[in-house]
Amino acid sequence: MMIGYILTNEEYTQVQGQFYTPYEFFNCVQDINGVWFLFLSTQDKETILNDPTWNWILTLPEGEYIAPPAPPFPG
Amino acid sequence: MFIPSFMGFDKAGFGDPDALAFFARVTAAGGTLSATEKSAVTTLVVTMKANGTWTPMKAIYPMVGASAAACAQNLKSASFPGTFTSGWTFASTGVTGNGTSAFMNTGLIPSVDFTTILSSHLSTYSRTQLRGGVDIGTGGPGEFALSADLNISVIYTYASIGTNSANSLSNTSKGFFLANRQTSTNLKAIQNNTTLASSTTLTTNTLPAVSVSLAQLNGSGLRSAREIAFSSIGDGLTDTQASNFYTAVQVFQTTLSRQV
Repeated sequence: MMIGYILTNEEYTQVQGQFYTPYEFFNCVQDINGVWFLFLSTQDKETILNDPTWNWILTLPEGEYIAPPAPPFPG
Repeated sequence: MFIPSFMGFDKAGFGDPDALAFFARVTAAGGTLSATEKSAVTTLVVTMKANGTWTPMKAIYPMVGASAAACAQNLKSASFPGTFTSGWTFASTGVTGNGTSAFMNTGLIPSVDFTTILSSHLSTYSRTQLRGGVDIGTGGPGEFALSADLNISVIYTYASIGTNSANSLSNTSKGFFLANRQTSTNLKAIQNNTTLASSTTLTTNTLPAVSVSLAQLNGSGLRSAREIAFSSIGDGLTDTQASNFYTAVQVFQTTLSRQV
């Protein structure tokens, strides 16, 4: 079971693609219902914990992520 | 005079400029490498130059340093430094995505950085027994893709460069995996030193226009959560080069005590 931070559309727009280190950027995914989720590793959380630009993410509600149906393959 | 290899010198005491340049890039990025990691990287570079596998490489990600800054660096050159999404775990044994949102963008675009698809390869070193997802690839017209265990239909190991693929039923996703296209009618899926599958179907020379990513098939998701301890992108390898490449990478992993 995957647990991630749940983002509003506004919050998604705020974080998607933004770099929080020179070599790392946020990437959100939509669940089966179109809700935006952000998954952070323990290292990601440690990285942004004291960063006032991004540490508000750690206060967002968390929820279970259910993936949308897999895309067709091969393309 | 004894000169330790971790300083970027080979056993004969001669510095390897490419290894030293890589160490400098890691440091400039804010990463650090251990003495053992520097020694292993130096030996890898010297060995690859000696056995003819260095030149065909466009990007080599040795995944050392246990940080995004270090693991993003390309050993071959200053080109194609990777950028990681959120969701990765970095360790001395490699990098592990989450299989859902995590991937690394290499910035290498086949239609720009290759002149032909008819001589090309992808490789990854997987340390995880886990089904599903693509370990390195990009889609669109033509395809570059390599999965240790795709877990779709009856396909396990999946190697695709061009408009056809070589698939096998290998039941382990651990080891060194190589998708190697030598000609328009010669594509092989190789695990360690064993050819698992080959395709002689004629491919069209269509190069994807989307950047190659680690841990996903860029353009269609299919993300892998396997731990990756090495990866490369480059021109096609001869059978001898492919064998020598595996041997060099396995020695590299063994030096780092992370071989599978």
